[in-house]
Amino acid sequence: MKYLLSSAAALALTAGLASAQTPAVPDNLEKLSNFQTTGATEFTFIEQKGEYADGIKKNLERIKMPPGFKIGLYAIVPDARHMAVGPQGIVVFVGTRKDKVWSVTDRNKDRVADEVKDFAPSLQFSIPNGPCFSKDGFLYIAEQNRVLLFPAAEFFYESPDVAAFNLVKKGELIPAGQESFNHTARVCKIGPDGKIYISLGQPFNVAPPENLETNTKWGIGGIIRMNTDGTGREVFTYGIRNSVGHDFHPVTGELWFTDNQVDGMGDDIPPGEINRQTAMGQHFGHPWYGGGTVRTKEYEGQDVPVEVTMPAVEMAAHAADLGMTFYTGNMFPEKYKNAIFSAQHGSWNRTVPVGARVMVTTIDGDGKATAEPFAEGWIDENGEYLGRPVDIAQLRDGSILVSDDLAGAIYRIWYEGN
Amino acid sequence: MRGFTIIGLGGLLLAQTLAPYALAEDLTGDPAAGRKKAGLCRTCHGIEGLAKIPIAPHIGGENPNYIMHQLTAFREGTRVHEMMSVVARGLDDQSIADLAAWYSSQDVSAALAPGKTGDMAPEACVACHGADGLARIEDAPNLAGENAIYIDTQLKAFRTGKRTHPVMSEIAAGLSDTDIRAVAEWYAATKIEIAPVK
Repeated sequence: MKYLLSSAAALALTAGLASAQTPAVPDNLEKLSNFQTTGATEFTFIEQKGEYADGIKKNLERIKMPPGFKIGLYAIVPDARHMAVGPQGIVVFVGTRKDKVWSVTDRNKDRVADEVKDFAPSLQFSIPNGPCFSKDGFLYIAEQNRVLLFPAAEFFYESPDVAAFNLVKKGELIPAGQESFNHTARVCKIGPDGKIYISLGQPFNVAPPENLETNTKWGIGGIIRMNTDGTGREVFTYGIRNSVGHDFHPVTGELWFTDNQVDGMGDDIPPGEINRQTAMGQHFGHPWYGGGTVRTKEYEGQDVPVEVTMPAVEMAAHAADLGMTFYTGNMFPEKYKNAIFSAQHGSWNRTVPVGARVMVTTIDGDGKATAEPFAEGWIDENGEYLGRPVDIAQLRDGSILVSDDLAGAIYRIWYEGN
Repeated sequence: MRGFTIIGLGGLLLAQTLAPYALAEDLTGDPAAGRKKAGLCRTCHGIEGLAKIPIAPHIGGENPNYIMHQLTAFREGTRVHEMMSVVARGLDDQSIADLAAWYSSQDVSAALAPGKTGDMAPEACVACHGADGLARIEDAPNLAGENAIYIDTQLKAFRTGKRTHPVMSEIAAGLSDTDIRAVAEWYAATKIEIAPVK
């Protein structure tokens, strides 16, 4: 139980932070006792050089982007899913759909990671897909059925013993009977209101009628938000099938999110979605709509009992739009300012695969959103995936990172001009 | 973890379990035809059956009867999964036999995690799934190298009744969350190898 010792240090530090910046941390040392140690207190380090890295670099030569942009390997990170860049710019935390969270450090600032190791190896994670940071350095990790909070994670991650608190205790994010593995890649981000927003996918292809009441109550098939001390939980968004990416518009503060749509209706319907939410409680159509204006077979002909907000932009059917981030950096040309960079994981059972690319969505003065491919080439001439992008994050220099859970890698895209 | 005496019981119930699938078993699967049809499967399970995504199990070198049993169950709706139910809906008996023939013909091997010996393996599981996670009977899947969360999810599904099996439902009913995670981590730590396919 070594981490109890460091936790005391963390509490002291947290108290200091609290007086300076008023972040709300539950003062609950006893909650630490809920954690089970696996006894693992040694780091697993991931080799960054060698044949595997060389193979990935070769694949990146195929990637096409607009003129002036370059792509390179940033880090080898097994099962890399969603990313959170530390506000001090020291470390990128990367979630997985397995049981590890990785910390990725670029010590010499040459924009290539020098060290990749597991974060908090003494904690037992379950599908820790979604890390996110608050501006004041608190790391949150949304798991299958728990949300943990790590004060000063960019400081403590160097030790296997970390200070950890429950934001949402195990078993309280959703009822245990609703747990699943698929559609359980949770994503979190802190909104402009300082609350944490967490997506909760619903596990079915089309949500069955008998689940709708539970889903509505818990925000399953939705996005919930709460204060960063775990109080004030409420459902912010309804009628989602499985959202695996969201962010807040840098100017309007509105929530935008991707949503993965219904399978088994054909290769070309229903469309994928990027949605824009303008008010709390809006409903985005699932399960009555399968994507865009396409009605699901299961609820065909039924009256839709809610007012539905249609997507801001329809994406290619089955391309699997996942992580997204608004671009606020100064490195890229003006056209990309406040645009959405989003990842398409690629289809899993479409006759001809589609996706496996980075998309960019620009929003004009009237709020009209237009999406186009930005980086593509991860599907080869045989229809085989060379990589499957998952999430996009922005580094402080204005370049962007792209995670890939098939290759187990993070790429960096930067702009050099012509 | 509690031990279970299930060896005799398992054999008896197994015969019953497989009986309804006699139709599919009578068909002879063609591995070459299965390979072509595996285009449907490879994005998640890999062409040789080494899974490409964490939510999918490794199926290369699986017993053909297990594969046929599961695909039939997904098609009939007795086992439900958001993706597999969609895929299996379109498969006829011959396709199921072909896919089973292709994936079962792959060359699989497994090894215990470094520093572990067979007598440390979870007692309730080894009779059917082996200490190294390679199945010892027809109707059990290989568990070697499977993602811990996959095994965890399946055991909990058996415990809650979302997935049913005469032997597994009973075993899972007696396991706590901690027991389940321990079993899952044992098999996740074993190393699976499936020979790559050109």
